[in-house]
Amino acid sequence: MEFVVEEGKLVHEECSTLILPALSIGNVGQLAVDLLVSSTAAERVGYLDDLNLLPCVGNDAYGPLPCGDIALPLEVYESSSTATTLAQQRSPVAKGMMIKFAENIAEFAASNGKKDVIVLASLDFQRLHNLDLSRGPQVYYLSNTESDGRDDHCERLGFGRLGEYDPEGRCWKYLSSVFDKNNKEELSFPSEDELEDIDYYPSLPFAALFSAFKARGLKVTCLLCYCSEGDNIPDAFLLAEAASKLTGLTPDKFHGEEGGKWRIPYSWKSMYGAPPDMSMF
Amino acid sequence: MEDVLTENPPPSRFFQEDLNNFASPPPEPPLPSPFILFSSPKPELPLKPSLLIIALSSPSLHIFHSCLPSKTLIGTLIIPELPFSGNTVEPSLQDKSCNIYSLSDNNNENSVLLISVQLPVSPERSNLVSRLLIGQDIVPERVIILDSIQSRNFRGRLSPDEALAAKLETSSEKKAAAASRLNLDYFPSGSVIDGLSASLLSRCQLKNIRGTLVVSWPEFDPSVVRFVGGLLKSIVPGLDNKSVGKDLEMYSSRSGLKKDAWLDSDLYT
Repeated sequence: MEFVVEEGKLVHEECSTLILPALSIGNVGQLAVDLLVSSTAAERVGYLDDLNLLPCVGNDAYGPLPCGDIALPLEVYESSSTATTLAQQRSPVAKGMMIKFAENIAEFAASNGKKDVIVLASLDFQRLHNLDLSRGPQVYYLSNTESDGRDDHCERLGFGRLGEYDPEGRCWKYLSSVFDKNNKEELSFPSEDELEDIDYYPSLPFAALFSAFKARGLKVTCLLCYCSEGDNIPDAFLLAEAASKLTGLTPDKFHGEEGGKWRIPYSWKSMYGAPPDMSMF
Repeated sequence: MEDVLTENPPPSRFFQEDLNNFASPPPEPPLPSPFILFSSPKPELPLKPSLLIIALSSPSLHIFHSCLPSKTLIGTLIIPELPFSGNTVEPSLQDKSCNIYSLSDNNNENSVLLISVQLPVSPERSNLVSRLLIGQDIVPERVIILDSIQSRNFRGRLSPDEALAAKLETSSEKKAAAASRLNLDYFPSGSVIDGLSASLLSRCQLKNIRGTLVVSWPEFDPSVVRFVGGLLKSIVPGLDNKSVGKDLEMYSSRSGLKKDAWLDSDLYT
């Protein structure tokens, strides 16, 4: 994976917190990063070029009006006022290459001075076993602060620890071993056909990213929410809000609409396609 | 009407294998890499054309073959997993090939190169192919890519009887003099283009090369052929615009030249 700095741009070393999405149901992580880039007025500083990422291009996603600035599959933004780097991923990873991709992006983070990593992702609502509606929408987390995934700061913020994280489970152990260069133990690659229900969480892209960053010695926190496919904008707000709380961003760091916190990206206007053709009436 | 339970998910959603760390990796041994075979005598590499035009859409391929008789075949891209069966000895629009042509003038050999992409390049192989075509053996000053709008990735309304065209440009192209740039509206924000044309334009952006991707709609339409012909006339010397009108009835309906005609030829070899 090559980090290509955009011409005329500088990379700020103080932007040591990296926020990035993991591909997940409803594209929630990606929508949340869209919201954070747009609302913090983060500036694009470069691109990550990886052979394992499927190609796509588009017009500027953020606006306020699309000005023809090309958008690439994996872009790096910086918000120096918040000391945050944001990476936005717009296309899937080639089938079977997620582990390699995670390794590459962890290498980018480690070699570019990132110290804290926040991965935003969503989980399938059908997998949620203990639904507690009294608390409202819940954000879950997984951290490498403690071996069981626990982190005091996340607990104080009211996030729920992902109880399904089992570092001794075969798939989690496999992910740990595959990214650990010092690991001598050979574990077999879990076959697609052999996966069971308990393997759902470690099979997801966020788990590969978590394990890869952890192996590079970076502090990594995954912020997760359960959702279904549909209108996932509210889920994106939930995760973006959680990320801003976790990183301690105060409202004055945001450049929202009409003095508010959030700025809706221009590209969201057509998220659900064109409006109906009124001429038929 | 498609079954809503089994139909393909809309473009922004994922297939299960996209979200599975343990999806089967590519087979071992890996596929041999694509490569370019140049005609003999092999030209001095890298080639440095002032303009590289890459045709992927049916209208642009038709224009290349019917309106540029003076082009010289100088090379071909080989994708090892794609068979040559059914191809003719002389380059033909029906071939499954990716040929590289030169439009040379006496003062500047290889000043304009044309690439006619007449074979299906999978998204997984697109990045390898685009690296071969731009930035290694071919280092152009400017690139124009011609493709069709993919309805599955377009968030606006596409009418089958209303032609439209749009562009995406690299940062270098945007900075160039307005008079030298193509006068088209930008592709709307929120929609995306994927596949080989996206990979080619990305490559231009990463290498800081002037690049423009022009996408048109519908895919098979005489008005689009005329539009592409007019577009190329302004930038390609020697384009015989009079020939653009020939055989346009092939594009008036899907019973004419089909995009996958060269795929179908496998049945008859």
